[in-house]
Amino acid sequence: MELLAFDPSFFVDELTAGLTLGAVYALIALGYTMIYGILKLLNFAHGDVYMIGAYIGYFVLTGLGGPLAPRVPLVPLILLMFLVAMVGCGLLGVVIERFAYRPLRNAPRIAPLITALGISFFLESSAQLLFGAQIRSYDTFDLHNSVLFVKGIHTTVHGVRIDLSLVRIIVILSAVVLMLALTVLVRKTALGKAMRATSYDREAAAMMGIDVDRVIVATFFIASALAGAAGVMVGLVFQQVSNFMGFQAGLKAFTAAVVGGIGNVPGAMLGGFAVGLAESFAEGYWSSTFKDAIVFGLLIAFMLLRPTGLLGTPAIQKV
Amino acid sequence: MKSRAGIVLLLAAGVAVVSAAVAVAATDGSRAQQHATASAAASCKSPHIGMSAPITGPAGSIGSDQLHWAQYYVATWNKAHPTFHVTLDQFDDQLDPAKAATGAQSFASNSKDLAVIGPAGSQQVIAASPIYKRAGLAFLTGSATRVDLTDGHLRGFFFRPVPNDSVQGPTDVTYALKHLGVARNDHVMLVDDSEAYATGLRDIMKPKFEAAGVKVDTESIAQTDTDFTAIVNKTANDKVVFLLFQVASQAQLFAQQMKEKGRTAIVFGSDGTFDSSKFSVNGSYVSFFAPDVTNVKTSARTVNGFYKKFGHSTTPFGAPNYVVAQIEINAIFKACKDGKVSRAEVRKLIPKTSLKTTVLGVPVRFSRNGDVIGGKFFIFKIVNGKYVYVGS
Repeated sequence: MELLAFDPSFFVDELTAGLTLGAVYALIALGYTMIYGILKLLNFAHGDVYMIGAYIGYFVLTGLGGPLAPRVPLVPLILLMFLVAMVGCGLLGVVIERFAYRPLRNAPRIAPLITALGISFFLESSAQLLFGAQIRSYDTFDLHNSVLFVKGIHTTVHGVRIDLSLVRIIVILSAVVLMLALTVLVRKTALGKAMRATSYDREAAAMMGIDVDRVIVATFFIASALAGAAGVMVGLVFQQVSNFMGFQAGLKAFTAAVVGGIGNVPGAMLGGFAVGLAESFAEGYWSSTFKDAIVFGLLIAFMLLRPTGLLGTPAIQKV
Repeated sequence: MKSRAGIVLLLAAGVAVVSAAVAVAATDGSRAQQHATASAAASCKSPHIGMSAPITGPAGSIGSDQLHWAQYYVATWNKAHPTFHVTLDQFDDQLDPAKAATGAQSFASNSKDLAVIGPAGSQQVIAASPIYKRAGLAFLTGSATRVDLTDGHLRGFFFRPVPNDSVQGPTDVTYALKHLGVARNDHVMLVDDSEAYATGLRDIMKPKFEAAGVKVDTESIAQTDTDFTAIVNKTANDKVVFLLFQVASQAQLFAQQMKEKGRTAIVFGSDGTFDSSKFSVNGSYVSFFAPDVTNVKTSARTVNGFYKKFGHSTTPFGAPNYVVAQIEINAIFKACKDGKVSRAEVRKLIPKTSLKTTVLGVPVRFSRNGDVIGGKFFIFKIVNGKYVYVGS
C-alpha cells in the first residue's frame, strides 16, 4: 500500500473521475430504487437494460454516419442518441414488466428475483446473438477532431490544476438535469403523487382510484429510460460497448442504491456519487487492484451496520 | 423482529454472491471425468486435431484470425494429400479459462483428436493443461507466452513456436533504457490486466527496471474495465507506461484517456495489444513475439493465398497457428507411416520437429521443456496507424 503525498491537482483529477463514474451509477441506481420502491423487487436485469441503451446509442451514432463522418452536427447528434436510447430502453422496460414481472406480482418474492436474474442473462445472450460478441466502440475520440476530449475546462486556480473534458461535463450535467427532472416529476406531478402512493401502499392506492398497473408501467418506463441515458453516457466517455458490460455496472449501481437507502430517490443519487467517488479515490490513493473489493466492501458494511442506507428509514413492522 | 425489507435485501445479496460463485466454480469444469481417454478410435484414415481459440468475445478478432490460419494450413495440407485428410475440430473459449477447460474436456473425450492447437492465452493454458495432460494430448499454442508454462511441469505435452515472456520482458526493458530515454531515478508504470500472462510479465520487468535504478509503479485493471482515469491521473511523472494487456482496444482507451488528461508519457503495449485495427494511437510502441508475416518476403505466396481465402486482413497473432498446425499434422503424418497412430506417438514426434524455415521467416526447434529455441521479440512503433518495425 502506497499513500501518495497530498497533491491538490491529483485530488481534483480523482474527484472529477469519481463524479463522472458516480453520475452513471446514480442514474442506474435510480432505476433500481424506483422499481424497488414500487414493487419491492430488485430488478437485476436493470444493468442489462443499461447495456442495451449503450448499444442503441452506438447504432444511432453509426447510423448517422459514425464518428468520422457524422451527418448531423454534434449537439443534435448527442441529443438524438440520448432520446432514442431513452425511449428504446423505456419501452424495453415496459415489455419486461408486462411479460416477466406482472404475472409474478403476487408470487413469493424469490420468484421475481430469480426471474430478474433470468432476464439479465437473457438480455446478455440476446445482445450477443443480435449484435455479435465483439466489443463495439463509439470512437467518440475521433468525433470532430476529439473535441469532446480536448475541449472543456483546462485551467489552474490557486496552483490547482483542473482538467475536465467536455464529454465529462456533458455526462455530469446531463445526469444532474435528469435527476432534477425526476425529482420534480416525483414531487410535483400527479403521476409522481400516484407513484409515491403506490410505493407506500399498493392496495390502498388502488382503492383510492389510482391505476396501479399504469403507475408501475410508467415507473418501469422512466427507470429504464434513465438506464438507457446512462448507457449512452458511458459510450460517449468510455467508448466501448459489449454485451457483458451490464452485469458489473448493475452490481455497482445496486451497491449505490443500498448505500443511499434502497427505495429512496435522493438516496440513490447520493449513493451513486458515493460509490463513484469511493471507487475513484480507492484506485487513485490506494490500489487499482482492490477498487472493486472496496466498493463491494462498502455494500457489506452498509448491509451489516446500516441496512437502511444513508437516507433510508427503517420499515415499521406491525406485529 | 427483523424488517422484511432487510431480509429481502440480504436474500438479494445472497443471490448475487451465489451467482458469482457459480460463475467461478465453472472454472473447475468437469475435470474429474478425465481419466485415461482411449485413443483407440484415432485413425490414420481420418485424423482430427482440435483447436481452442477465442473466436468470439473481447479477443474475437484475434481468435478468428488464429482459427483462419490453422484452417488455411489444414486446407492446404488436405489439397496436397487427398488420401490423408485432416479434420480441424474447433472450440470457442472466448479467452475464458473456464471455457478453455470445457474445450479441453471435449477434445480429451473425442478419441479422434490426436493433438490440439491452443489455447491462445496463458491463463487458459493453465486452466486446460491438467485435462490435456491426463488425456495424453499434445497441445501447442501460437500465442501464450507466460514463462512458467514451460518450466518443465508440462514437458512432453506443451509446446510453443513463439518465444516466451522471459524474452519479451528484457527486450522491452532494454529498448526503453536504450531508445526511449528511461534512466536512473526516472519513473515508469507497469499496468497489468490481472491475468496470468500479464502478471507474469510484470514480475519479470519490474526487477529489471529496478536493477537499472528506475522507479516502478504497478497498477492492475480487469479485462472488462473501460475507465482508466484514476490510473491515468497517476502517470504525471512517468516516462513510459507499459500496458500489459490482452485486449488491444483497452490499450487504445488507456492511451486516449492519457491524451484527454494531457499526459505525455510514452505508451508501450505488450504483445497482447498488437492489433493495428484496435490500438493505433500515434507514437506508441508495441512488442510482439513474431514478425509481421505480411512483411516476410519469403511468405508472400502463402499470405496471398490466405488473403484469397479469408479476405485481405490478418493480425500477427494468426500466422503462428499456421506453424502450429503444420507441426501437429506433420507429426501425425509421420506417426501414420506404419498405418497406426496414438496420442502418445504424436507427443513423442512433436519435440523432434525441426523446421529450417516457416511462414514466420524463422526456424522452429523445441527445447526440452517445449520452448522455441532462439526466439526473439520484435518492437514496433505506431506511425499514422501503421506498425513500423524499429528493433528487437
